Amino acid sequence: MNDPLVVQYGRFLGDLLLFNLGESVRTGQPVIDIIAPRFFITVELALWGMVVAVTAGLFFGILSATYRNTLRDYGTMAIAVVGLSMPNFWLGLLLIYWFSIQLGWLPTSGWGTPAQVIMPAITMGTAGAAVIARMTRSSMLEVIDQDYVRTARAKGVKENLVIYKHAFRNAMIPVVTVIGLQFGYFLSGAVLTENVFAINGLGRLVVDAIGQRDFPVVQGTVIVLAVTFVFVNFLVDIAYRILNKRIELN
Amino acid sequence: MASNEQTPVLEVEGLRTSFFTPDGEVKAVDGVDFSVSNNETLGIVGESGSGKSITSLSVMQLIQHPGKIVGGSIRLSGDDLLKKTKQQMAKYRGNRLSMIFQEPMTSLNPVFTVGHQVSEAVRIHKKLGKKAAWQEAIRMLTLVGIPAPEDRAKRYPHELSGGMRQRVMIAIALSCDPELLIADEPTTALDVTIQAQILELIKELQEKSGMAVLMITHDLGVIAETADKVVVMYAGEVVEQADVKTLFTRPLHPYTQGLMNAIPRHDIDLDELEMIPGTVPSPQNMPDGCRFAERCPYATDFCIENHPELASPSNNVEDENTSGQTRCWIYTDEWNGSNPTKGVAANQ
Ligand SMILES: Nc1ncnc2c1ncn2[C@@H]1O[C@H](COP(=O)(O)OP(=O)(O)OP(=O)(O)O)[C@@H](O)[C@H]1O
Ligand code: SF4
Ligand SMILES: [Mg+2]
Repeated sequence: MNDPLVVQYGRFLGDLLLFNLGESVRTGQPVIDIIAPRFFITVELALWGMVVAVTAGLFFGILSATYRNTLRDYGTMAIAVVGLSMPNFWLGLLLIYWFSIQLGWLPTSGWGTPAQVIMPAITMGTAGAAVIARMTRSSMLEVIDQDYVRTARAKGVKENLVIYKHAFRNAMIPVVTVIGLQFGYFLSGAVLTENVFAINGLGRLVVDAIGQRDFPVVQGTVIVLAVTFVFVNFLVDIAYRILNKRIELN
Repeated sequence: MASNEQTPVLEVEGLRTSFFTPDGEVKAVDGVDFSVSNNETLGIVGESGSGKSITSLSVMQLIQHPGKIVGGSIRLSGDDLLKKTKQQMAKYRGNRLSMIFQEPMTSLNPVFTVGHQVSEAVRIHKKLGKKAAWQEAIRMLTLVGIPAPEDRAKRYPHELSGGMRQRVMIAIALSCDPELLIADEPTTALDVTIQAQILELIKELQEKSGMAVLMITHDLGVIAETADKVVVMYAGEVVEQADVKTLFTRPLHPYTQGLMNAIPRHDIDLDELEMIPGTVPSPQNMPDGCRFAERCPYATDFCIENHPELASPSNNVEDENTSGQTRCWIYTDEWNGSNPTKGVAANQ
């Protein structure tokens, strides 16, 4: 504690490489041991949120594009705007109110069983679904009038395959980037969702730790989230490059 | 296979295709008739916006919203195509009738290999397995004169030149031996030597298979070189129709005459040359009478008020028994304007 700041920082960085994030000032447990199990819960929650965001986003985006400027298109996009603007903790509370309190179908809290996954995943995924749907729609609309889509129809490809194979393959390139970015946001979105559904993930941990002024735990969580964010973006970059390689040269 | 007997492959009658835009109905194709037989090439010429592409897309039933075929009939070897379901039409496209487009640079899908794109058609229509279809694709690529086809098949479109890509398009279009090939300005985007090669290739393949060809173009040179019969379109209508020799030696319709007169040589693109003063009337306020009246040197009040029909000429021509038809009052008994023979004679 009495060393100069630079030396302290150097020691901190060295420890970081060894996954040594210090000890909790409350419990004295190593921070890494507190974080590790909760990290996987948060990642799992984010992944389920992604599943919701990607499936719903792609589905509604493509639907909107294929029915462009019809009631179906406008309806879907209006819902997307609502989904995007609604704070996710509010959506979570609404879901709990309807499905747990009014209907009694789903448990209000906890993590682990499939029934416990549904509402948090929807809460996490909705805003992402809206972003992905809007991106997919505009990307599909750009592609759908391309000459090669007409060529596909002209050689007798069935309409479904025209859309899902010939058009979507091209439209998906910008969408992949958005999906990757969403995953980063999901990690931070987890903070609120976990608190609403009382899930013991990193989000809840960090809120508790802030309340208890448990500085090493807060710091450790932030570092883990930041590293994960960078890592995910790195993966997205690679995926984008692979997808884009063929077009870039054009 | 290439017999000299001719039976109609495609018969189009009274075809009308409109776009329903917020500003009202745009009649892009307004009562078009023509037919083309096996071993025969029908050329369709006309200025930009005259409805050539919409006519060919209508035959393929590839008109997209807000366009709609609103009338007429399209028969392929006697089959009424407008009575087919979407699924049946998808089975015919690329199989019984095929189309190639003006833009070889953008007509192939950038994310699939050319081999994949050729074999896809074969897999759909001939129900071949992956391997057999790939072999068939290579055979087609060889047939259309692509060097090192085994290697090229594995490449992506951007790795090929425009001419090569148009050859790939032809390979796709002809892979299932169609009865009819529609070529919508297949050479416009290519440079002159490549143009000649592509036209030569189409001709050669036609001789082998006996298919009917619909050759759509701006370029009277292409017509002179490839077509047996010609349809001249103006503002969504056929204004003249004749065999190619008659059309060039004795154009009847003042519009056709204008096209011929203004062109010292055949190989000039109509759009690059404003040969006839004025422009095509806008589809929103199509004149009731003759659509060419505004630009026609012979126009009379009668022309402006009355719409002429496409008919065999019976007035003001020397040999009345030709197969050609035109849509102009001059050649009917109703004609009461000044004697136009000077203008017509000047062309002969
Ligand atoms: N999507 C559309 N909406 C409204 N009108 C359209 C649409 N597509 C085509 N048209 C109308 O159809 C007319 C004919 O178009 P078409 O593409 O058939 O012309 P073209 O003869 O092929 O011309 P070009 O030589 O330039 O290819 C156009 O003038 C336009 O008014
Ligand atoms: S009908 Fe009249 S206006 Fe029309 S082309 Fe003939 S002469 Fe000209
Ligand atoms: Mg055109």
